[in-house]
Amino acid sequence: MKLIGIVGTNAEKSYNRQLLTFMQRHFADQAEIEILEIKDVPMFNESADQNLPIIQTFDQKIIDADGVIISTPEHNHSIPSALKSTLEWLSNDVHSFEGKPVMIVGASYHDQGSSRAQLHLRQILDAPGIDAIVMPGNEFLLGHAQQAFDEHGDLNNEGTVSFLASCFKKFLRFTNMVKMLNVPEDLKVNPGTYDVTAMGHNGKLPMSVEFSEDKIENIEIDTSAETAGIADVVFEKIPAQILSGQTLNVDTVSGASVTSKGVIDGVAEAVKLAGGDPDVLKNRPRPSAKRQVPPVEYETDVVVIGAGGAGLTAAASVLQRGQRVIVAEKFPSVGGNTVRTGGPMNAADPTWQNEFSANPGERTTLQGILNTDEATIDPAYVADFRLLKTQITKYLETTDDDNEYLFDSTLFHRIQTYLGGKRVDLAGHEIHGQYDLVKILTDHALESVKWLESIGVEFDQTEVSMPVGAKWRRGHKPLKNQGYAYVSALKTFVEQRDGQILTETPAKKLIIEDGEVRGIIAQGPDDQKVIIHASAVILASGGFGANTKMVQQYNTYWQQIDDDIQTSNSPAITGDGIKLGTSAGADLVGMGFSQMMPVSDPETGELFTGLQVPPANFVMVNQQGKRFVNEYEGRDVLSKAAIANGSLFYLIADDKIKETAYNTSQEKIDQQVEDGTLYRANTLAELAQQIHVDPAVLTTTIAHYNSYVDAGTDPEFGKNVFDLKVEQAPFYATPRKPAIHHTMGGLRIDTQAHVLNEQGTVIPHLFAAGEVAGGIHAGNRLGGNSLTDIFTFGRVAGKTAVSENQK
Amino acid sequence: MKFIGIVGSNADQSTNRTLLNYMQRHFSQAATIEICEIKDLPAFNEPDSKIAPREIQAIIDQIQAADGVIISTPEYDHSIPAALKSLIEWLSYTSEAFNNCPIMITGASHGTLGSSRAQNHLRQILDAPEVGARVLPSSEFLLGGSLRAFDDAGNLVDAAKIHELERDFTEYMTFAQDVNQLIAHSSQLHDKQAVWTEE
Repeated sequence: MKLIGIVGTNAEKSYNRQLLTFMQRHFADQAEIEILEIKDVPMFNESADQNLPIIQTFDQKIIDADGVIISTPEHNHSIPSALKSTLEWLSNDVHSFEGKPVMIVGASYHDQGSSRAQLHLRQILDAPGIDAIVMPGNEFLLGHAQQAFDEHGDLNNEGTVSFLASCFKKFLRFTNMVKMLNVPEDLKVNPGTYDVTAMGHNGKLPMSVEFSEDKIENIEIDTSAETAGIADVVFEKIPAQILSGQTLNVDTVSGASVTSKGVIDGVAEAVKLAGGDPDVLKNRPRPSAKRQVPPVEYETDVVVIGAGGAGLTAAASVLQRGQRVIVAEKFPSVGGNTVRTGGPMNAADPTWQNEFSANPGERTTLQGILNTDEATIDPAYVADFRLLKTQITKYLETTDDDNEYLFDSTLFHRIQTYLGGKRVDLAGHEIHGQYDLVKILTDHALESVKWLESIGVEFDQTEVSMPVGAKWRRGHKPLKNQGYAYVSALKTFVEQRDGQILTETPAKKLIIEDGEVRGIIAQGPDDQKVIIHASAVILASGGFGANTKMVQQYNTYWQQIDDDIQTSNSPAITGDGIKLGTSAGADLVGMGFSQMMPVSDPETGELFTGLQVPPANFVMVNQQGKRFVNEYEGRDVLSKAAIANGSLFYLIADDKIKETAYNTSQEKIDQQVEDGTLYRANTLAELAQQIHVDPAVLTTTIAHYNSYVDAGTDPEFGKNVFDLKVEQAPFYATPRKPAIHHTMGGLRIDTQAHVLNEQGTVIPHLFAAGEVAGGIHAGNRLGGNSLTDIFTFGRVAGKTAVSENQK
Repeated sequence: MKFIGIVGSNADQSTNRTLLNYMQRHFSQAATIEICEIKDLPAFNEPDSKIAPREIQAIIDQIQAADGVIISTPEYDHSIPAALKSLIEWLSYTSEAFNNCPIMITGASHGTLGSSRAQNHLRQILDAPEVGARVLPSSEFLLGGSLRAFDDAGNLVDAAKIHELERDFTEYMTFAQDVNQLIAHSSQLHDKQAVWTEE
């Protein structure tokens, strides 16, 4: 039998230590007692790093032992703070004492023998976070300890020794008894396959679970309702852990906790259906208890932080140039925000676009460019602006209503990126995209499309897309799977060329030697320290949209950003790369400007719930049931208006408008109505009651809107592009709120993706690409430009890193 | 009157801190409450010399200049945090700061129990002869659900809870006054020698 003895004090001299040492010797033939000293355990602090080596050692030793003996003195009628502190460390992040048999002994100067401290200790060890199993009775109270030992440190009273021996013997038997208690209970079920429905992030997940008499044999989940890419890892990892450990005591996957929990609950439900007790499985130990893992070191040419679109692109281009690469990704799955996009990326490709006819209104947009006052254009862009005007004039002269085709040019893309990004913040400071970066973005956009095709992304050639806020039709959209199409192609490309992707490995620190960046230190699964030595580091970890505090801290653009604001971003996007960059002295640019997605789910920040219809069919009403904005406006106008109206608003639709929704199915709609996340009623008045607005107000609002559709003009808010009226029951209301969508600010970079310091000089061997970098989109990013950005600057970063490594 | 409010937690975020800050503002007409943090104090280790480290001496001085002490404790594993216990050990080992000191116990917890078990332990600890504090009897302020108990400005939301705190604090002020007067007039109590019972 192997036991741990904990000396309950950090004092230099202690009779409790002496008592344990005596027990160690005296009972050596019955058990091996290893004594742990607590004097090097620091004061517990829940806000501090919980991974102290000494706590990990204690945790491991206690887990491995059959039982624990604690010898406590009494300080002020309770246990010493040093012992309490040790117990707090061992019951916070780790739970070393869970189900562990414990024997309490104690020694003191006077009569009491630490009696009150021992009672406190019993109560403390019984707390749920500790959950030890303390042997009842058998109180060993050693009073007058200064007289209790002889010169060899042995207890000098025979009666005391024999009482201790009887307590100890009972403890050994108690330990064996507790061991039996800890043997997992058998599962007993009626064999067969049971169908249940788990709740995932996007709604129902039908699953079927197969049982033999005492075992879960198989778990199958129909994942068609979930967004491809995001929760995949849940559907692999959670069932695998449940099956291998035959336990429901598994950790949820970070970033997908709702879906993880859904899967666990689904299996529990199936156990119930099969006539079994799910608690039996929930009480079983976790599949792999935390173990201390020795650090691991890697040596490579380039290390990329973040396995989203930018990071994987950078990695792929490093591999294409014949160097080695490791990608460190914080989350269990790759893809970052890129898997969440609808998929269109902007690139002017006139040869392709010219094959399509122009849409109504596009000629007016071009005319608007010609009418723009040159004095409002930044000097850096004026030459391009003039050239663009020549292009447009020529187009307008050589086409008419009958033979109009879709116009575009690289210059148009560049000027629109510039004009779209021009904004003024609350303090009156103007910002616009940095010319040299915008030039790289727009000059190389089409090349990025071609490059993606070369690595296996298939684009839909039959349609030029225009995502929300793009201002022009120049979107190249993958044939299927939206954003996941890019990620899956890039991931396959990287892995096939022996690029290494380390998931669940957040970068913690840059290795900086003599002012040069030489790799990173990351934290792998099970808190393993991962050291990656590299000749270059590329930061591609995205922006900070999921870090509300950081957005609020830097914000200079929005009147108000609520603490509970949602985000359309992956929860991984917390500004890690920006912090790493500044730790190496990087300069920041445009940090105050963030972009909101006005039409997001108020609870989850997602875009693809409710009825998402084309803006021509948007009818937005505030919490009073009144329209409050021209629904055809850009994202930031809509967001500002929504915030001014209390953030929460509703998209009103009728049965015909519902048909134009591009994100949903009748089944999903029915489910959301049932869940109360979408409202449906047969009359507008009923709908109004459901969303708590005055029926008369909503009815009037809609009557006015319908009359504007008939007239083709909106005297209230100036909406001028209409499609359908709201007239056909049933009527719908989709609750929406602005959510953080993109952060335009970030690390200052140059045209070669070098990260620059505050003096504007290059930080050697450090690069940045994608949303982690700033300066391009300035005050507002055009829809469809983020993908262009990551695939273009991702390649630039990879290319520069390799060519400088080769020097 | 002047009181010291000891935040019983060394964590960065603590609703016990919020509670004391609230009391400080809410009772500012009636009393001055100085907030005392235990965040960066040395851990008690029973040194040979019974001389208080500088940070501890500062707290001793603060307490001795005050009319009483309010301790707001969270609950860690059914008892008070080690960080708070450590401070009490320092105080009783190196000084008589708590001897005859009128003390009010409050506590906040995220769960429903409002640190009840920790408060009972704290009472027993403060009642140990070598600590010798005079804890306000028959009164307990247990703030459960403390994450939702305060508004954005850090004020208690529930009127009934505010009323309870006002009643307890008024009672405590009377108690502190009486205890201090009693001690001042009784040489026997005044001279009571605190004894550190070592193991």
